[in-house]
Amino acid sequence: MRKRLNIPRATTAIIFLILMYGGVGLFNPSFLEINNILLSLNSGVVYTVVAIGIAFVIITGEIDVSVGAILGLTSTISGIMVRDGHTALAFIAPLIVGTLIGVVNGFGVNYLQIPSIIMTLGTNGIVRGLIYVYTEGKWVENLPFAFKQLCQIKFLDTFTFFYLFALFLMLLICILMAKTRRGQYFRAVGDNPDGANLLGIPVKGTKMVAFILSGLFSSIGGIMYASRVGFITPIAGMGYEMKVIAACVLGGISLSGGVGSMVGATVGAAIMASLSRVLVFLGFPSDYDNTITGILLILIVVSDSLIHRNSAERMRKQRLAAKVIHPEPSTERV
Amino acid sequence: MKERSENTLLSVRSITKAFGLNKVLKGIDLDLDKGDVLALIGGNGAGKSTLMKIIMGIYHQDEGDIYISGDLINMSKPSVALSHAIYLVPQEPMLFPNMSVKENVMMGFKENPQKLEKRLVALMKQLNWQIDISRKADSLSIAEQQLVEILRGLLRNARILILDEPTSSLTFNEVKSLFSIIEEFKKKGIGIIYITHRLNEVFTIANRVAIMRDGIITLEGPVQQFDYDMLVKGLLPDEVTQKSFIKEHEKHIEYDTLQPVLQVKDLCGNGFHDVSFEIYPGEILGLAGVVGAGRTELATTIFGRDTISHGTVSLHGKDITGCSTRKVMDQGLNYVPEDRFMHGIFSILDVGSNTTSSKLRNMSKVFLKKRKERDIALHYIDLFSTKVTGTDQRMGSLSGGNQQKVVIARALATEPTVLILDEPTRGIDAGARGDVYAIIQQLKSLGLAILLISSDFEEVSELSDRALSMHLGRINREFAKGEITQDNLMAAAFGVTNGRAMNA
Amino acid sequence: MLNLRSASKKLLRWELFLVVLLILEIYIFGVINPRFLMPRVLLGSVNNFMTISIVATFVTFVLVTGGIDIQSGAIVGLTSITIGILWNDFGFSLSIAIVISLLIGIACGALSGFFVAYADVQPMVVTLGGSFLYSGIALLLTNFSSTEAYKGISGFPTSYTSFVRNRFFGIIPSQLIILIVIVIFAYVLLHKTKYGRYVFLCGVNRQAASFCGVRTKLIVMSTYVLSGLGAAVAGIFLTAYLGTAKSDLGKEITLPVITAVVLGGTSNLGGTGGVIGTALAALVIGILRFGLSLANVNTQYLDIPVGILLVLSVALRFSATNPHIQKIFAKLRGKRATSLNN
Repeated sequence: MRKRLNIPRATTAIIFLILMYGGVGLFNPSFLEINNILLSLNSGVVYTVVAIGIAFVIITGEIDVSVGAILGLTSTISGIMVRDGHTALAFIAPLIVGTLIGVVNGFGVNYLQIPSIIMTLGTNGIVRGLIYVYTEGKWVENLPFAFKQLCQIKFLDTFTFFYLFALFLMLLICILMAKTRRGQYFRAVGDNPDGANLLGIPVKGTKMVAFILSGLFSSIGGIMYASRVGFITPIAGMGYEMKVIAACVLGGISLSGGVGSMVGATVGAAIMASLSRVLVFLGFPSDYDNTITGILLILIVVSDSLIHRNSAERMRKQRLAAKVIHPEPSTERV
Repeated sequence: MKERSENTLLSVRSITKAFGLNKVLKGIDLDLDKGDVLALIGGNGAGKSTLMKIIMGIYHQDEGDIYISGDLINMSKPSVALSHAIYLVPQEPMLFPNMSVKENVMMGFKENPQKLEKRLVALMKQLNWQIDISRKADSLSIAEQQLVEILRGLLRNARILILDEPTSSLTFNEVKSLFSIIEEFKKKGIGIIYITHRLNEVFTIANRVAIMRDGIITLEGPVQQFDYDMLVKGLLPDEVTQKSFIKEHEKHIEYDTLQPVLQVKDLCGNGFHDVSFEIYPGEILGLAGVVGAGRTELATTIFGRDTISHGTVSLHGKDITGCSTRKVMDQGLNYVPEDRFMHGIFSILDVGSNTTSSKLRNMSKVFLKKRKERDIALHYIDLFSTKVTGTDQRMGSLSGGNQQKVVIARALATEPTVLILDEPTRGIDAGARGDVYAIIQQLKSLGLAILLISSDFEEVSELSDRALSMHLGRINREFAKGEITQDNLMAAAFGVTNGRAMNA
Repeated sequence: MLNLRSASKKLLRWELFLVVLLILEIYIFGVINPRFLMPRVLLGSVNNFMTISIVATFVTFVLVTGGIDIQSGAIVGLTSITIGILWNDFGFSLSIAIVISLLIGIACGALSGFFVAYADVQPMVVTLGGSFLYSGIALLLTNFSSTEAYKGISGFPTSYTSFVRNRFFGIIPSQLIILIVIVIFAYVLLHKTKYGRYVFLCGVNRQAASFCGVRTKLIVMSTYVLSGLGAAVAGIFLTAYLGTAKSDLGKEITLPVITAVVLGGTSNLGGTGGVIGTALAALVIGILRFGLSLANVNTQYLDIPVGILLVLSVALRFSATNPHIQKIFAKLRGKRATSLNN
């Protein structure tokens, strides 16, 4: 039997990314300058980190729309801590808060049986409000220069340490998910929760961990955001959840769960981050960002679905045809 | 009941379980010793799968105890069962569709992956089951998926292995090789609970048998103490006499005076080839075959759900080849799906809505006519003696038999002249089965032409006026009235003619 | 009267719960600030959540089929700016501009609906793309205008704006009347017509519906068309009420809309739910926010109680039907925790 074309979906995303850069490069060669490529990739570090976090949840078959709010709250906390001189806390406190919110999300979904879209919608609203309560609506400014410079530190003048850290995390997680038993639980739970339960895989526990990781990674992103942007408004991170979900989808992670990898999330985030720069280089004003993102998302998702459907249909026909006997049988007819 | 001994691997006592008002298990006592193969048989809804899920920790019993090797164990979740070396091979395969066969089999094992893979390959070789383990699970057929589930179970080093209808989609050879492994396990002292609908398997592989009916064990003991008739008797509730419904409506069909109402000529489609047959009004045409022979594909294609590559279908002389489902229904042909749960019922809607869902188009222009709906539903509830509390009862809370009555009513509400019934009594207990047979006879006397697709050879032989058998996608034999016997049907369905097996 | 009894059975306890919640809110806020209870004030509050209510009413159809629609906010903005541009910069008459904007809303819904129904793409992703696309197009359209984007186009004729701001008998806002009419229309459509039944059938078991001859793809796609139309209608009224056309008018309504639909009892798995529940839930949320703002709670904090309300009410609903929790309560009450007593 012919082997199915089993290209992992992250690969398609990588190919797309390369094609995108190549295509733009043809149009405007300066886009392909190393500095520019590095700049594009580095600028996507926050997207990347948050996308990796939400990927855990999506792979287990759930959704988390509170990541933007967690990003906002944790960057606010980080900014305030560092502004007021509590440097150590500026890195620790946001992580704790992000993790706690993840615990709340996980608890609601797993033990109160609240659908994840609703639970995270709820926490999204609550956390957004909490930002205002915490900051009294004011901006967080005057962050120390050293903190703001953190995001700029580059390794050998190429990638920022931030981005390298993100890549390191991605690599680590990929290995853990592929090689360890527990790492494989995420995909199993998303692919067939009943089947996973039958094998003794802790479905609730795994989803709980996924939500916790999502919150944790959002808070890492929050710290990075504070450093990169340099000031935090109460609406920081608004709309981020949609962008990172789009990044995951572009990277080949299916919203129904069980499919996808962190590599895909990272590539998808790179695509999202590069998009606005791509548009600038092609001569489009930034006004076109959303439109192009939308078209891209729809195109990719529709073509992916059509390809998948076509191959599934072909296979169905093959399977059925295989069941039919073809040399003329000797029949006994009355 | 046997005495518990030190050889007893598993003991359950007084297990009860209810889902809401539905009491599924009413006090089960069971024992399994080392080296036992306990065949557990019973009609659908008897509670077998529920009991197994309780033993596996998926469900929790309302009352009762489970003892493993003499120790009382609280089976709170599957990992507890797994840690006691119990493993359940489920009835419906529950693989991970997006993972490869290899990943599926190895998931959840604590063993070294390379060693495990070697064991897997060796086992597959021993069974001679050829599946490419790098294939994604969703590309496998149901039969192949079942094989993979069984492989998981066999690799488990379980001390108690539960097989829930493992052979329902398997070929002869696959069943044979599975049985040889089971014999090996027997010798190793592994206890096996083997659930099946196929009574002949009980005598082949089991050393003890237990019959479950309506939530209790009615009979139990060593297999030598039973024969076929005793098993059948133990399965049926006492009042029902199986054959009573059949002969009452024996009407002789004057084929010479009749025109066929449905004519299928050289029909080719996905899963079947060169199919030709005719159905006459007032007759039941049985279509026998094994699972996978292509009968459902044939029916659903005629019903407009798949493409036709060659051939014609005409209804009352009108060509309906390739017409959409709506058009086919309008012309007077309707189909009752094989899988009631997935394709038949609207479980959270009420009985009234379920009954009228096909007729809705023609009932009114824009607005719903709730009263008319109710009347139609009540008419069929009355006609079929469907047990409901009212037309507003939730469909999902009906028993399987009553659900089937509603689904048949839905098809009838469109006033078809040809009705295709696909496994109409699957998953229905014996009492309701009798009711459905009576309904089918009623329809026949009303002049409907019925195509009865069934894997139950007894059913086909009892009900049909004429019969066809389908094998590997083709009609391989036609039967006139006198030739329809269970043996003939079974032989043809398995591709055996003239005493010789003919096979691809 | 069999009808009445079964009707009251169908009036799910959930809708009653929402009504109780509503009464509770009105009472509490009335105590905190008596001005709240003045008919003029209370009824006037509808102006604040009109948009969410209209959109949520039609998004309900989508959720009943088991889908989801997060692009409505973008369509609201797109409709608004379309009216503005067509009327202000292209000289179209206002009525024609309104008709065209309705058609655009339908087209947006149809496009996404087509992909969901015929290409089998997940609704969340398609409408996510749609939300980017349509808000992006709206932004691009502002380039056609002489006015800067952030300002918005104003100066609409009073015939357009005044009707919407009108009050009958000085108390009842015309928006309330409009909302009631729309809700009644949607209720009849979803619960009393053949079409509505088809929507439910597709939501409960799409395959089975297909076996019944229902054109499931068409029905599913049509729910997105309705949702797009609803967003367009909301955009038209919002623009009239504010007197300004802006491309980002619906920016923040997506989450409140989904909150209203879910709080209203429609399951995101499809097959259950209703317009009445959504309307009540939108009311509950709207009154909650309005009452709090009247009690001098900073508007930015208002999402917190809404979020809490959402989570608590859903948790409550699930716990009420959860057999484990039922057992715990039974044990607490000292009874035997079995269901054999039924």
